[in-house]
Amino acid sequence: MFLNKLLKITLLTSLCSVVLFASPIISKEIKEKKIYPMGKKIYEKRCKELKLHNYKSYEALSSDLANSKVCGKLNAKHLQALSLYLWDVKRNSLEELQAITVTKDEKCQVCGMYLHYYPNWICEIDYPHNEIYKFDGVKDMMKFYFNNEEGISRVVVKDYYTLKSIDARKAYFVVGSDVLGPMGNELIPFKDKKSAMTFALDHNGNSPLSFDELNEKMVRSIE
Amino acid sequence: MVILPSLLMNLMKRWFDLLSRKINFYLLEYALKYILRDKYKNFFIFTIMTLLVTLLASTLLLSNLLKLEYNKFIDTYPDIIVMQQKAGKDVTVNEKIVDDLLNINGVSMAVGRIYGEYKFEKAESIFHLVGIDEFEESQNKFIEGLKKQNSLDKDSMLVSKDVATLLKKNYYENYFNFIKSDGTFKKVFIAKSFPTKDSLQNSQLILMPKETLREIFGFQVEEVSDIALKVTNKEEIAFIATKIESEFINAKVIVQEDIRHFYEHIYNYRSGFFLVIFIISFFTFFIIIYDKMSGLNSTQKKEIGVLKALGWRVEDVLNARLYEGIIISISAYFFGIFLAYIYVFTLKAPLLKEIFLNNYNLIYDYKMEFYIDYNVLAILFFLSVPIYIIATIVPSWRVATLDADEVMR
Repeated sequence: MFLNKLLKITLLTSLCSVVLFASPIISKEIKEKKIYPMGKKIYEKRCKELKLHNYKSYEALSSDLANSKVCGKLNAKHLQALSLYLWDVKRNSLEELQAITVTKDEKCQVCGMYLHYYPNWICEIDYPHNEIYKFDGVKDMMKFYFNNEEGISRVVVKDYYTLKSIDARKAYFVVGSDVLGPMGNELIPFKDKKSAMTFALDHNGNSPLSFDELNEKMVRSIE
Repeated sequence: MVILPSLLMNLMKRWFDLLSRKINFYLLEYALKYILRDKYKNFFIFTIMTLLVTLLASTLLLSNLLKLEYNKFIDTYPDIIVMQQKAGKDVTVNEKIVDDLLNINGVSMAVGRIYGEYKFEKAESIFHLVGIDEFEESQNKFIEGLKKQNSLDKDSMLVSKDVATLLKKNYYENYFNFIKSDGTFKKVFIAKSFPTKDSLQNSQLILMPKETLREIFGFQVEEVSDIALKVTNKEEIAFIATKIESEFINAKVIVQEDIRHFYEHIYNYRSGFFLVIFIISFFTFFIIIYDKMSGLNSTQKKEIGVLKALGWRVEDVLNARLYEGIIISISAYFFGIFLAYIYVFTLKAPLLKEIFLNNYNLIYDYKMEFYIDYNVLAILFFLSVPIYIIATIVPSWRVATLDADEVMR
């Protein structure tokens, strides 16, 4: 009994501490678009040699940054940006996928169109041993994918809004919208369901599909 | 690389050899003398052609050049600007809506900007004040570069070289007293002055921290002049603009493309003047051509007759006329182009420029860097040189094909 109670208490306190001492509550969008870029700039200009693993909590980091002035004098806004960036991004060292690039004479593997005219729509299928195939849209990529599914190591698409390269297997796709790709109607990729939903509402698309929901018949029916 | 000049020289030499073998220098001499015999008439034609080429080349060059420059300038604008209006006039915006704007999908950056003009009465000049936050992003590359090099303390500012010398003349060496909107003074120290690379746009620029500028302008804590947005996927810009318009009823949304259209509109309207000039000068030119085509006078006819009687072939007569046409038209063309380039790039196109630039234009800063517009050169060449040459040859050919006695009769 006693042990059970102790466990409960410790659980509760730990939960409280997480809620109380967690980093300030700001929406993900604002963090990614405003705070992290600012924090990154401060970090790169002022305090490259900071050792992050010495800090046990966000508070410790932020108060130390304020008091010790390792990174010079900073106002509240900059301080928050820097510590949030260090705590959320730098500490976890979130790695982004390497952006897909094309040279001027690369062509789509399915339709043969030159890729450098449509940099926003490029997708990529990788096999082991540096065997890479590039396409000018998710539709063409999926046609290739269903025929050569075996041994694929990685499928990369570009998020429509941010144009960052993302893992296609975690992406969501919208068909039937009024936005046309280089090959007409297109499966438009998004990094999360929320942005895919907004896009579908804004541009008259069908409801978003995950990667596993795509099938060959459906992909071939898109014109 | 060492081989290249010698190769080029060799090529030129061979080309020149070929040319000198092809050119009949006796005929050339004859053509020159022919031109000099009708000195005044030929000189008149030469002058008209030169002026025509100069006029057209300078207008076409200038309008293309200005178009190039304003497009370059507009590229520094943010993708979308959000402003607010009250009673039909632009007013300041509350910076709080930045967070709402960032929540819109597709917007990758939103920054409240503070800027404005400050009139320094004593020196009769206007300063362009821009508030900066060292770690915020801005799409102006010039300011971004300055921010990277310098860091500003509160109550200090970066001024351009021109502003620094102006302030020094008025005995402000280390600081300047701005008059705030409530009439009191605000002392701001000069941290550093920066060179502006003789650009008019930045010559009156002063950069200072946003808080300091807010104090001078009398803005509230979260007040900004407008909000600049960046959209990663350019295809979404138009849609996002309409979305913002429907979400924020009082907002005035300006897209980069709108500004471009505004300038294009002014330019196209003004290009109408040039079209008129173009048409008039070409009519003049074609009247000259028509006059030449309509036939030779009796002395010219007789001369051809004499030449034929002396044993010249039709080919020789035509060749002589060809040389004459080439000498006049090509020299007029090149001289005209030369004058146009001097007018536009050395003298900076006085008078003509004023047609384009007036109060409607926000851009006064045209650097007018030298460049060669091959399209303009080609258009003018093919509109003037071949036409003139044909106009000199054809009437002589008509006469030269007749028998000598028939001509001289």
